[in-house]
Amino acid sequence: MKKPITVLLLLICQSGYAQVSYERLVNAANDGDNWLTYSGTYRSERYSPLDQINTGNVKNMKVIWAYQMQPSTQAGNGLVETTPIVVDGIMYLTEPPSTVTALDARTGKTIWSWSPDMSDEVLHIGFPRVNRGVAILDDAVYVGTLDAHLVSLDAATGAVRWDVKVAENSSGFALTLAPLAIEGKIIVGVSGAEAGVRGFVDAYDSATGERLWRFHTIPAPGDPGSETWQGDAWQTGGGSTWLTGSYDPELDLLYWTVGNPAPDWNGDVRPGDNLYSCSLLALDPDTGELSWHFQFTPHDTHDWDANQIPILLDAEFNDKERKIVALANRNAFFYLLDRETGEFLHGNEYSKQTWASGLDEAGRPIVLPGTDPTYDGNLIWPSLQGATNWFSPSYHPETEQFFVATRLMGSVYYKADVEYEEGQPFLGGGEQALSGDDAAGAIRALDVLTGKQQWEFMLHSPPWAGVMATAGGLVFGGSNEGNVFALDASTGKALWDFQTGGAVRTNPMGFAVDGKQRVASTGGSTLYVFGLE
Amino acid sequence: MKIQATLIAILAFIVMPARAQSPLDTLTEADIADGKRLFRLHCARCHGIDGAGGEGSNLVRAKLKYAPDDESLIEVMGEGIPGTGMPAFWTLDEKQATRVAGYVRTLGRLEAEEMPGDPLRGAGIYRTTGGCPACHIIAGHGKGIGPELTFVGDRRGLDYLRRSLIDPADAQSQTMGYQDYLTVRLTTDEGSVDGLRINEDAFSIQVRDVGGVVHSFRKDDLIELKKVFAHSLMPEYGQVLNERDMDDVISYLMSLRSDQ
Ligand code: HEC
Ligand code: HEC
Repeated sequence: MKKPITVLLLLICQSGYAQVSYERLVNAANDGDNWLTYSGTYRSERYSPLDQINTGNVKNMKVIWAYQMQPSTQAGNGLVETTPIVVDGIMYLTEPPSTVTALDARTGKTIWSWSPDMSDEVLHIGFPRVNRGVAILDDAVYVGTLDAHLVSLDAATGAVRWDVKVAENSSGFALTLAPLAIEGKIIVGVSGAEAGVRGFVDAYDSATGERLWRFHTIPAPGDPGSETWQGDAWQTGGGSTWLTGSYDPELDLLYWTVGNPAPDWNGDVRPGDNLYSCSLLALDPDTGELSWHFQFTPHDTHDWDANQIPILLDAEFNDKERKIVALANRNAFFYLLDRETGEFLHGNEYSKQTWASGLDEAGRPIVLPGTDPTYDGNLIWPSLQGATNWFSPSYHPETEQFFVATRLMGSVYYKADVEYEEGQPFLGGGEQALSGDDAAGAIRALDVLTGKQQWEFMLHSPPWAGVMATAGGLVFGGSNEGNVFALDASTGKALWDFQTGGAVRTNPMGFAVDGKQRVASTGGSTLYVFGLE
Repeated sequence: MKIQATLIAILAFIVMPARAQSPLDTLTEADIADGKRLFRLHCARCHGIDGAGGEGSNLVRAKLKYAPDDESLIEVMGEGIPGTGMPAFWTLDEKQATRVAGYVRTLGRLEAEEMPGDPLRGAGIYRTTGGCPACHIIAGHGKGIGPELTFVGDRRGLDYLRRSLIDPADAQSQTMGYQDYLTVRLTTDEGSVDGLRINEDAFSIQVRDVGGVVHSFRKDDLIELKKVFAHSLMPEYGQVLNERDMDDVISYLMSLRSDQ
C-alpha cells in the first residue's frame, strides 16, 4: 500500500518541476540538494553545504555515472568549461559550443538537448569555442550562444521560448558565460576584447527577452570615466564582461567584472587608465546605473582581465561589521572591498608577481618601471593567463577560508604594432610562457580577512579548473593532467583522487539526489558524477 | 641508349605523382613572411613567438602528429583539435592559413646547412666507436632510450647536434615545455629506481629505466622523488670522439632527412 502513495507524491512534486522562483534563488544557500546558479548562490561562494561525503569517508568515493558530450554538429569542436545546474533531480549543462542538455541527475540519461542553428563561420577571437553554463528562472533555462544570442528554453522540453541577438558576432562579440537570473531579469556580458569590441553588461526581461538596459564598460566622450581615454581609442577599447557576476538582493546591487582594454599588449595607442577595463562594477539592476567601480589594473598591458568571480561575504573587519566583496585577481593580488561603497579594505599578493611593488592606500598598484611588454620581450610574472583566471574560487563561510586555484607561471611579453580591423584580432603582441618544469600550479587556502596563505597543494602544471569547498571539510579541484581530487580543507592534504583521462577545465559542483550527495566534475569531454554509493 | 632514356622517362612518370602536390608549393618568400606575421598574431600566444611551444605544442618539429601533410596542417588551423586547447581559426581565410602553414613548415624543416665532415664514415662511427644504437633508433634499428633519430636532420641544425654530443644536458628537447628526458630517482621502502620520466601528474609518476622497463608509482608511496635537471643519461662525447669522428657523426645525423 505504501508504494502507490510515494508514486503519487512524487508525481505531485514533479509537476512543480523546474519551478525555480526568484525566492528559491535568493535562498539557494539553504538548499544544498540543488545547485541553482552558476556559482551555487548569488554570493558566488561555490560552497556545498552537504556533509555526507566528508574527510572520513571521501576515500570511498567512486563514479556513479558518466555522460559523454556529443561532438558538436558544427565543424570543429570546443572545450568543456560548463558548470551544471541541478534542480529537483534534473541536471542542465552546456556542451561546446552552445548546446544545452538536460539529464536525469540520478542516472545521467538524456531528457532533452537543444543546439542553436549557428553558422560555421561564427567568430571567437581570443578564446576557444566554449560555454560555461545556463541560468534558470521559473520554468525557463537561459543560455548565451557563441554567435552572441541569448536564448530562453522551456525547462521541461528544451523548446525555444524566445531568442534575441545581443550583439554582432561579425564584430567579434560572443557569449560564453552562464547568464545570471535575478528577479524578472537575465543579466549577461560579452566576450570580444581581443577583437577590439566595446564591452557592455545587458539586462533582459526574463519573460519576453526585451532588453531593459545596457551599461557600456568603456565610457563615450563626455561620460564619467571618459577622461581616462584619448581620441577614438574608446571605440575599440575592449572591456569585455565574459564571466558571471554576483548579486546582493539586500543592497540590490549587481557585481560584474570587466576584462582587458584593447589592444591587449600595446598600450601606446590607448594612453590613460582606460576605465572601466580590469575593474569591478557595482550596478543598479533596475537601471543599469553605476553605483561604484574599482579598477584593479589601471592601463593594463598584460591582458589581465578582471573576469574572476567576486565572492560576497559579511564579516567583522577592523572591528566593524562589513559587507565585503573578495576577489583573487588575475594580476596576482587578492582584494577585499566594501561592497556598499567600493572602498578598498585590503589587498595582498597571493601568487608570484614581478610587475608591482605593492598596492597603495587606495588599492592602486605601484607599478614597477620597465614591466610593460616590449618589441624584444620582457619576462614578467604572472603570465598572460594570470595568477588565476575565469575558473572559480570557493569560500567556506564557517571557516572564513578562501580557496583559489593558482597559476605559477611567468611569461615573456611582446609588443607589436597593430591596427584595428572589424572582426579581426586586435592584440598588439603576444607572449612566450615559461611552461613545463618552469611552471606549476597550486590550490591555495587563504584566510579571507588577511589574505594570508594557510596551505597549498601543488599541481603539476598551471590549472584551468576551479574549486569547491563543502561542509564535509573538503575542497574539490581538478588538474590539466586529468586528476579530480578532494583535499582536506584544514590542511590541504589530498584525501582522494581519480584519473578522468582528460584535462579538467571546469569547476566542481555538488548536489544530492535520493538523499545521496553527489559531486560533479569533467575530464576531457566527459562529465563524471561521484558519490559514495 | 634510347631504351635507357625511355626507361628514365617512365620511371620519372611513375615517381613524379608519388610526391603529392602541396598547397604550399606556390608560396613566395613574401607570403611566408606574412605567414610569420600572422603566426605571431594568432599562434604565438600559445605556441611561443618562434613556435617552440608554450601552452600549445612545440611546432619546431619535422613531423607533426596532427599535421602529417600540408593539407592537414591547414585543416588543423581551420578546425582546431577537438578535445584539446588547440582552437579553430575562423579568422584566417584560406590564403592566410596557407601562408601560416608555409611559415610553420619552415620551423620544422631547417635549411640544409653545409656538413662539416663525411656522413658515410660518420654512419660507421655511429654504430661502432659511438655505441649510439644502444640508446637511439634509426630506421627501426637500435634501442629507444633516447629520442628516435631517423629524421633528426629535419628538425635539428648543426649547432644543436654538436651541442647534443658535447654537452647533452644543455641540449634537451621539450614538449609543452617539459623536458622530454628528465632523469629522476625514485626512492621507496624497497629501494631506488633511476630512470627517465615518461609522465607525471599531482598523484603519480611513470619512469622508464635504462633497461627499458616502465615503473609506475603513486607519489604517496615515495620516500623521495628527485628530479635531476640539467643532467643527461647520454655520455659527453667530447672526450670519446676525436674532432674528425665528431664532425663525421654530426654529418651523418644531418643527412638523416625525410627528403633524402
Ligand atoms: C589557445 C591556444 C592555442 C592557440 C592560439 C593556437 N594553438 Fe595550436 N595547439 C594548441 C594546443 C594546446 C595544442 C596541442 C593539442 C594536443 O596535442 O593536445 C596545439 C596543437 C597544434 C598543432 C598540432 C601539433 C602536432 O603535434 O601535431 C598545430 C599544427 C598547431 N597547433 C598550429 C597552430 C597554429 C598554426 C596556430 C595559429 C593559427 C595555433 N596553433 C594557435 C593551442 C593553441
Ligand atoms: C646511454 C644512452 C645514450 C647513448 C649511448 C647515446 N645517447 Fe644520444 N641521447 C640520449 C638521451 C637520453 C637523449 C635525450 C636528451 C638528453 O637527455 O640529453 C639523447 C639525445 C640525443 C640527441 C638529441 C636529439 C634531439 O632531437 O633532441 C642526439 C642528436 C643524440 N642523442 C645523438 C647521439 C649520438 C650520435 C650518440 C652516439 C655517438 C648518442 N646519442 C649516444 C641517450 C644516449
